[in-house]
This record gives sequence, structure tokens and C-alpha cells, in this order.
Amino acid sequence: MNDPQAVNGSRVESRAEPSGSTSLVWWLVFKQELTELWLGGRVLNFLILFSVLMSIMAFLLATNNELSLTPPKLMELITLQAAITFGLFIGLVIAAESITGERERATLEALLLTPTSRRQIVAGKFLAALSPWPAAMVLSIPYMVTLSQGDAVLGSALLWGALTGSLLAIAFTGLGMLVSIWSNSNKISLFVSLLIYLLCLLPSQLPGQVQATPALTFIQTVDPVEATNQFLQKTLVNSQPQVGSAVDPGPMGQVWIFLAGSAVVTALILGLLFLVAAPRLRLEGEGASMIRPIWNRMEAIE
Amino acid sequence: MNQNNGSKTSAAEPATLLLAEDLHMSYGDRVALRKLSFNLSAGRVMGFLGPNGAGKTTSIRILTTMLEPTSGRFFVDGISSQYPERIRRKIGVLPEGLGLPKQITAIAYLTYFGQLYGRTAAEAKRVGMALLQDVGMQHRADSLIGTYSHGMRQRLGIARALVNDPKIVFLDEPTLGLDPRGQQELLSMIQHIARERNAGVVLSSHLLSEIEGICDDVVIMNLGRVVAKGTVAEVIGQTQLNANHRNTVRIRVPSPSVAQAQQVLEAMPDVQQVTPADVTAGWLVAELGDGANGDSAEEAHNKNKILEALIRAQIPIRGFEAAGGRLQDVFLQLTAEAIE
Repeated sequence: MNDPQAVNGSRVESRAEPSGSTSLVWWLVFKQELTELWLGGRVLNFLILFSVLMSIMAFLLATNNELSLTPPKLMELITLQAAITFGLFIGLVIAAESITGERERATLEALLLTPTSRRQIVAGKFLAALSPWPAAMVLSIPYMVTLSQGDAVLGSALLWGALTGSLLAIAFTGLGMLVSIWSNSNKISLFVSLLIYLLCLLPSQLPGQVQATPALTFIQTVDPVEATNQFLQKTLVNSQPQVGSAVDPGPMGQVWIFLAGSAVVTALILGLLFLVAAPRLRLEGEGASMIRPIWNRMEAIE
Repeated sequence: MNQNNGSKTSAAEPATLLLAEDLHMSYGDRVALRKLSFNLSAGRVMGFLGPNGAGKTTSIRILTTMLEPTSGRFFVDGISSQYPERIRRKIGVLPEGLGLPKQITAIAYLTYFGQLYGRTAAEAKRVGMALLQDVGMQHRADSLIGTYSHGMRQRLGIARALVNDPKIVFLDEPTLGLDPRGQQELLSMIQHIARERNAGVVLSSHLLSEIEGICDDVVIMNLGRVVAKGTVAEVIGQTQLNANHRNTVRIRVPSPSVAQAQQVLEAMPDVQQVTPADVTAGWLVAELGDGANGDSAEEAHNKNKILEALIRAQIPIRGFEAAGGRLQDVFLQLTAEAIE
């Protein structure tokens, strides 16, 4: 603008038609999101919080162990369950803010105005939101090694923990993204996502007698958190059932049902995310457009 | 209308880049846009005017494929609105909210967007640098966007809108929040986009005087309806206001001279009435007689005589406006009529 020569020169440059993409859109979005999440310090804050929580829990378990109240296998299980529960929380919160956050900052419109596939945008953001999980898992290893006290269960715990934890992290990150796509504000998205998260944690807090009922047994299979807990408990501790444990370890054939339940729920969430929600990603959350007519009718009645 | 492969070809109007036909948008019972139709040719700037809630942003969001109209259709460079992804390759948009991240440098951001439009990383970076040079921001290419002033962010937003070398550029309130110098620079940049790139520009703004200066065509909207459209001259000419008020002039003099100026003007035979409009600011409104009988040359001569009389009386003239000759007057009248 200031220099006519420069303007003309640059105009020729910018007139060049795009020569065809060499990068996949999901990869571009993933890299961009990853940079913002990690270099922006958000993931780092979550991981510090994660380490603090794990340290507190490890300290409590270790002091309990000194009183010979908790055997190493059970400590290993509790540590693993805590690492998974805290770890998937990070992915859930980041995913729940991924789309609504862009809506609130008005950056989503610019992205949607590009001729890119909505599904690829969601895929890039999904993978970036999932990225803290491996770091959380790696951070939890020293705690597990310390608390295992040389018990042979450590290897199995790490293997099954990584597998089932990844499954859960995928499910909850996907869930957070689903809610975020349908919501119009971070508050709503976070509230709904955390409510579902807490509801999934609830069955494990119920008394043993209640957990033995057929309804709760079904919920234990379809609730991915509870199914994972059951699977890990039966896999890592079932050779030595704990006194007072509400769940009968049962044969190994039944154990896989819990893993299958968790896998099916994860697949359903991913299917819903990429086949239904992602192609319908809009400037405004569809949840609002679904609720608005009902709200208007209610206001009219009043 | 030939729509093979979603494309519309017209031998009569080859340069028409944007054609909107009866676009209608409603949210339940609330109608946000009624029967919007217009066309825009290459190299022209179209002003989208209207008060808040007139339907400007809704129109722009429909035309940029962010919203699906309830009925109606539009074509961008011959591509039907049934093909939004193809349309998005042809348009550049500066949304009202700008939507720029903070923790990224300008060149990295433009490179990212260039890649999203299918350019290679090296090509996207080269184009990004050229665009930053175009908008006078090359010296801040490696600064974080979060450190930019509002004006710089607007410029970067325009650079982003041009990253795919669009045929049509939509700018929603681009001068909002800019100081007068920033507004002027941005408006000349917009003119440059239309003239040098031969792109069509759709500009939504409240700054009517600026719009009048750079727009070729104008669409005035109110309550979701188009109340006037055409070239700026056509729109000004087609209103009754021009006829009713063409013999009215507004004159600004120093406030101590208001009474003297009133006396001078009242003494003139061609002046029917003189009313002080704002004594503190020094504004007077003078109504001329109908002696000219619609003769525009005679009208202009009468207005010159007013100026002459004031100069002879040695009264400093700080402002002189022929009412009804400005887009702002037309806008105010049309939007007021629609409300009534």
C-alpha cells in the first residue's frame, strides 16, 4: 500500500493459484492446536496439577502401606485407577473447550470459512486434545514403580493401564468434543461434560450391596469408567480377591465383557463424533438451535 | 440459467461475480431477512448499510456460506450456493469479530491459513509475506498477534481474507474501532483491493460518509428488508427526501456570528427562512425559495449566493452542506420510514 512497486509485486505473487495441498488438513489443525495447547502453557498447568494429585495420593498410600493396611497389588490398582481418572479429566476439559472456546473467541468463523472438511478440523482438534494423555501416563509410571515395591504386577498394570486408559481417554475426549460441538458456551460445555464424567464415576462410590444388583451390574458394563475399573481389578487383583471386595472376580471370560463394554462405548462416541456431529459443525452450536424453539414456546406460554 | 455442475454462465453479464436471488432467512417466527436480491460486478465496491438488526450480518453470513438461507439462492463467480465448499475457495472474509489468535506470529498465522487453502508451506509463507507487505505490516511479521494494536489486527484480518486470492471479499464493519487515520488507510486499502485485484468487495459499515466516498453500489437494509439499492447516485436520487429538501442548506459559522449570519441570510430575497439549528456549534438551516423550479443549475447558483453574502459580511464559514445530497440523509430517511 505504501510502496506501489511492492504492491504490484506482491499482487503478482498472491495471484498465484494454490498449487495443491501437500499437507492433510487434520495434520495442519493438529499441529496448530498442539502448539497452542503446549506452548500456551495450558497442558503444562494440567500436568502439574496431575502430578500434585498423584503425589498426594501416593504419599497417603505409602504411609498406609507402612501400617501394613494395603497390599502392593491393591496399591498398584488404586494408583493406576487414579492416574486414568485424573488423566482422562485433562482430555475431557480440553476437548470440552476446543470448539466452544473458538466460538467464544470468534476464531471458529475464520476456520469454518476455509474450504476444509469439518471432519478433518474436528480430527485435528481431537488428536491435540488427546495429546496430554500419554504424558500423564508417563508421569504416573514413577509413582507406580515406587508403590509396586517390586511386585510382578507392575508390568501387567502398565500394559493394561496404557490400553484401557487410552480407550477411556479417547472416549472422554470424544465426549468432550461432542458436547463442545453442540454447545454455544464454554460454561455449558464444561458443565455438561463434567456432569457426565461425575455420573460415570458415581457407580464405584456406591455401597457393595447396591453394586451387586442386576441394574448396577449392567451399568458397570456400559459405564466405561466403571467397566475399566472392573476389568483392571479382575485382571490385576483377581488372583488374590480382596476381603470386602463387592465384586466376585469370576472366570476370565466375564472379565473381557468389561473391556468389550468400554470398547463399544468408545466406538459409539467416536462414531457419533465423526459421522454425525463433525460434518454438522457450525458457527453456532446446534444444541442452541434445538433448545431455542422449545425455549421460545415456553416463553410464549408464560 | 445454465447450472451445469453448479455453475451459472451468463454471456450478457460476464463480469457479475455475485448474484443473490430472493434470499430469505427466518428463525422460527422471526424473519431476519426478506427477499434479498442484488448483483455485484468485478472491481466494484458495494456498501451494505443499515442500523443494528437490519440483517447485514445475516446477509453476509449467508453469502459466505456460514448460514443456510431458508429460501432463495446465490451464485459466486458462477458457482451455485448448493456448493458451499467451492464457494469458500472463491471468497475472502473479514468477520466482524476478526477472530485472530494471540499466541502466534502474523506470518505463521497467514502461512497456516494459506496451507488450509491448499498451498504448500513455502508457497503459503511467500504469499503471506507479500500480503503483509500489501497491508503495510511486513515489519511486524514475526511479532505475536497479541501484541498488535486494533488497527494492525484489522490489517492482518484483511491480509487473511486475501490469502486465497479471492474473487469476492466480504468485510463486516472493517473500520469499527479505528481512529480517523486508520479508517482512511483501511478504506483506501479496500479500494485498492477492488481496483487492482479486480475483486468484488462487499462492505458492511455504519460510516456512511466513508462508504459514500468509496462505494460504487449500495444496498440499504432495515428490519431485514432492502429499502434501497443501486449506485450511490441512484439511491440518493431515487428518494423523495432529495426533492423535498434540495432547497435546504446547513451553514456553520462561529457561534458569536450566528445572529449576524441569520440577519444577512434573512435579508436575501431567495431565502425563505433561516433557523438556528445549534447555536453553540454555530449551525444554521436556510431554506431557499422555489424560484429555481427544479432547475439544478439555478439551485446551485442560489446556494452560491448565500456563500457570497456571508463572505461579503466577513463572517467566517466553517461548514456548508446541501441537505438531501448525502447518503446519510437518505439512510436516515429510509430507515425512519421503514420504522414508521
